[in-house]
Amino acid sequence: MMDNNSAQRLPGPQAGAVKFTMLLAGVVLLLMMIFGFVMRAAQGNLIDLDPAMFYQLLTAHGAGMVGTAGLTGAAILWYFMGRYVPLARGVFWAFLGLFLLGVVLILGAIFIGGYGGAWTFLFPLPANSGGVWGTDAAAAFLLGYVAIGVAFLLLYLEVGRKLIAAYGGIGGALAWPLVMSKGAAENAPPPAVVAAMATTIFNTIGTVVGAAVLASSLVNLYFPEFKVDALLAKNMIYFFGHVFINASIYMAVIAVYEIIPEYTGTPWKTSRIFAVAWSLVLLFVMAVYPHHLLQDTVMPAWSLAMGQIVSYLSGIPLLTVTAFSLIVYLRKADAMRWDLASALLVLGVAGWSVGSVPAIIDGMISVNKVMHNTQWVPGHFHIYLILGEVAMAFGFMMWLIGKPEHKAAGGFNWAAFSAYVLGGTGFTLMFLVSGALSVPRRWAVHAPEWVLQSQIATGFALLVIVGAAMFVLRYLLGLKHSAGR
Amino acid sequence: MPIQSGVLLISLVLMAVVAGFFISAVRASRKPDTGAPREAVRTRFIYALLAVGVIVTAVSLRPWPHAISAANGPSATVNVTGAMWYWEIDRATVPLGVPVTFNARTTDVTHGFGVMDSQDRLLFQTQAMPGYVNQVEHVFRQPGVYRVVCMEYCGVAHHAMTNEFTVAAAN
Repeated sequence: MMDNNSAQRLPGPQAGAVKFTMLLAGVVLLLMMIFGFVMRAAQGNLIDLDPAMFYQLLTAHGAGMVGTAGLTGAAILWYFMGRYVPLARGVFWAFLGLFLLGVVLILGAIFIGGYGGAWTFLFPLPANSGGVWGTDAAAAFLLGYVAIGVAFLLLYLEVGRKLIAAYGGIGGALAWPLVMSKGAAENAPPPAVVAAMATTIFNTIGTVVGAAVLASSLVNLYFPEFKVDALLAKNMIYFFGHVFINASIYMAVIAVYEIIPEYTGTPWKTSRIFAVAWSLVLLFVMAVYPHHLLQDTVMPAWSLAMGQIVSYLSGIPLLTVTAFSLIVYLRKADAMRWDLASALLVLGVAGWSVGSVPAIIDGMISVNKVMHNTQWVPGHFHIYLILGEVAMAFGFMMWLIGKPEHKAAGGFNWAAFSAYVLGGTGFTLMFLVSGALSVPRRWAVHAPEWVLQSQIATGFALLVIVGAAMFVLRYLLGLKHSAGR
Repeated sequence: MPIQSGVLLISLVLMAVVAGFFISAVRASRKPDTGAPREAVRTRFIYALLAVGVIVTAVSLRPWPHAISAANGPSATVNVTGAMWYWEIDRATVPLGVPVTFNARTTDVTHGFGVMDSQDRLLFQTQAMPGYVNQVEHVFRQPGVYRVVCMEYCGVAHHAMTNEFTVAAAN
């Protein structure tokens, strides 16, 4: 049983497989960003785009971004858990194979079958397209999700069982002895293990719930007499969707816990407050999902109140533990070494923290009544994806390839980082402003008075793409020229 | 000031404060130990956030935001039904200054019943979900034409799913 923060690290995490996965993810992220750029350009009347194609791109962008965020989070989780427990190499390849099978099914459903039911597959929209897509296209899309879900379950099964065996059970891996003041901090598992255990638990539960509603929707597609309660399906979909996208961020932050100490010179240790925070995160991530249903007034009032309250509470572990600790470590550092990896990882935590503000405010029922499904919503989640999870993923990629060897790399990196941050900030602020002006989200055609905001956002989107393309290029060159990690 | 403008303003200020802490820490990271906040600061921060949360929760949930007032005085009921891709509204004119309850239904997929004023400012919304009737109440303070839009993605003509009604003083 491994039982302390400084447990001896195992050699040889699957660096090759993880590097390959991150390359795939980087390219897909770029492609999905281009889809987003095209949608904003269409809303800004800068290009002509058929609404059916707009909604197909919307579906691909949503599913692709959420899936890729999950993929990068899983690769980070796998890489760093490989330092602490011996993981079966074949499981990661099976994970990646199933994930790619899912991608093929989803892309086929959208661009061959014409499916445009959004990534949320809100029941019964997949079965009721109004003649735009067929049953088989909807089924292919849902089966794509099933394949990706199975991939994640397989990965979590391997990580979960190894962590449980190595750290004396779920409670051991979550540092519960420390939570209950029965153990010393130096005997607690490292932060990455605590985060990995918590994420493994809640995303396994989320994925199983998602699988159940996917299976029900699939049966309903071919046997419409098999009725699914729309409210139940909606609860299950948002439980799954919320847990999955949050799990992506919570997995990616493992890279911060593991890499930032190399730059600050101070190890990130599991303290009692850290352990308590992660146990609360485990509960909050699952209990908060009714904040997606605040405008379903048939929901029990207590559940909506819980959605609002837990939405607020969820920000506390993030702000007072991960963000606060990172700020402490940065301030304590005598001479922090800044490069693209450390800058992107710190940006990731900052963006996640900043993005939690408009998210929490939208989680208030009275605010949600006038903000729900306006562009405020993509506003806040693009902050903690572009400037949060995706920044962490790019930071991990830069760390994987190691330090650039020549001086010119510094200028290139600074230009890439500046373009990404400026573009990401402007792009997401335009969403928030548009949301405050009641511009609905997911509209292929915008009213004339909303066009200017979309045009400005398109410019910022281009800047994000330029920055991201430079990251991917730097990664590719890094893979070619250096042995990296 | 519309609620949306207040929400935007408060959000931007708080976001700037959070970003400011990070920017300050990044600047300090290159210098020798600049005095990191102590654990006591973290504890106070947690208690402060909890205290703010209790106050905000109490203020924002009382009265209950989805309350439908008992029809003690004058009131009106409007039935709206969403379908791909149009809204049916069972009355063209809605009374001014009294509680109006909207019963939102759908005949096919989930839609979002949203009402915008003449400045295209969203006033309220509720979901229209298969098999359920969601209710939302609003008191209109200005006469005029109000636009009904769809606030939940429902397929290829989602953006075109609009209608309108008039608010006028009751005779």
